[in-house]
Amino acid sequence: MNKVFLNVIRFVLLVTAQVLVINHIRLGGYVHPYIYLIFVMLLPINIPGWQLLLSGFGIGLTIDLFMGTLGMHAGATTLMAFCRPAIIRLVSGNQKFENIREPNISQLGFAWFLRYTLCMVTVHNFTLFMLEGFSFHLVGQALLRILLSVPVSIFIIMLILYFFAPTKKKEHA
Amino acid sequence: MYNLIRFIQKHHFVLLFLVLEVLCIVMLTSTQSFHRQKRINTTNDIVGRIYETGNDIGDYFRLGKINRELAEENAMLRRQLSVITDTTQPYQEYVNKDTIYEFIPARVVNSTVNRPNNYILIDKGRLDGIEKDMGVISTDGIVGIVADVSQHYASVMSLLHSYSTISVRFKNNEHLANLRWETTNYRYGIIDDIPTHLLLQKGDTIVTSSYSYIFPENLMAGTVMELIPSPSGTLNKAKIQFSTDFSTLKNVYVIHHTNKAELDSLLKNQAAL
Repeated sequence: MNKVFLNVIRFVLLVTAQVLVINHIRLGGYVHPYIYLIFVMLLPINIPGWQLLLSGFGIGLTIDLFMGTLGMHAGATTLMAFCRPAIIRLVSGNQKFENIREPNISQLGFAWFLRYTLCMVTVHNFTLFMLEGFSFHLVGQALLRILLSVPVSIFIIMLILYFFAPTKKKEHA
Repeated sequence: MYNLIRFIQKHHFVLLFLVLEVLCIVMLTSTQSFHRQKRINTTNDIVGRIYETGNDIGDYFRLGKINRELAEENAMLRRQLSVITDTTQPYQEYVNKDTIYEFIPARVVNSTVNRPNNYILIDKGRLDGIEKDMGVISTDGIVGIVADVSQHYASVMSLLHSYSTISVRFKNNEHLANLRWETTNYRYGIIDDIPTHLLLQKGDTIVTSSYSYIFPENLMAGTVMELIPSPSGTLNKAKIQFSTDFSTLKNVYVIHHTNKAELDSLLKNQAAL
């Protein structure tokens, strides 16, 4: 119950930060960082599949409502949520998650998280900018946007996660 | 039947994913078409209110600047008014018996300039008399066209939109052209159809033409930045600097054409002939 509440708070904070702050940062027209992905990234590792998909769809659709791009973010985030189990398997290798409920930096390490963020952001941005490009016939620009936005998104997301990560000792004390 | 249920149980993750993605594609295709004939309304009062709250916070830091701009505009309008009353005094009973354009002031609560298609959200809606297809201007020049209206808010398709074309005129030679956005930089637009005999200078003014009933004639649209000669020698292009700075837009006016219903029905009859 506590975890659900935490995720609801996270949802609201991330959407607010995304639409009221991050969307107004203008970096040359090609760079669009998206931090709301953190919500999907930090969902519990063993969350049931349908909850994962609906969470992704839900936050994407909320962002869409704010940006007037109905379906675009929802589509990209749903695909990202769909790929999440596979991505976690891919970046973990033989690592086990016995007492880890949510992905977090302090328990899984910086390197693991960087790989995880890289995969998730790439899947999301690629889908998003392609959907944007195809519906507006500007595929070349879409590719440039992907190339420039992915590193910035990763940087900002890692920064946020680093500052808001619960410390390991506190969790297990 | 049992097999079907088992199939759904077994593959519910993939099936739900496919259902959600199809839903997204349907929403995408039904809202991004040119006329935005929508079954799903994308301008929504709750979203508008949240943007407005966020905006109000930011506005406190800009109050001084906004006040200055409004005062400057007031001064300019006063000057114009004095000129107009002087020159039309003798003919007062003939001139402007009924003005056909009314201006509804509105405030920008959210806007983008760096997407492939940009919209501006303003704080006036259906209850304030805003309707779809009305023109929107700022003190510096034209801004866009109302694309969608809710009770208290309206979203405006700005000039920075891949579907936006505005009928314009070169002020010094009366030649008509179509102005569109160059798709990346929010300061510049493009005119594609300039006959080669037309000689343009940098800084030439472009205003709205009389062919559009969305905008009144002679509104400032932009200035010529440079003429790009066509390689095949047919139609030259020109790079235009918009007179409106879309990134700092705050106060706008929505134009209500009082005879629009009449014009619409006339055009419809004409099309039916």
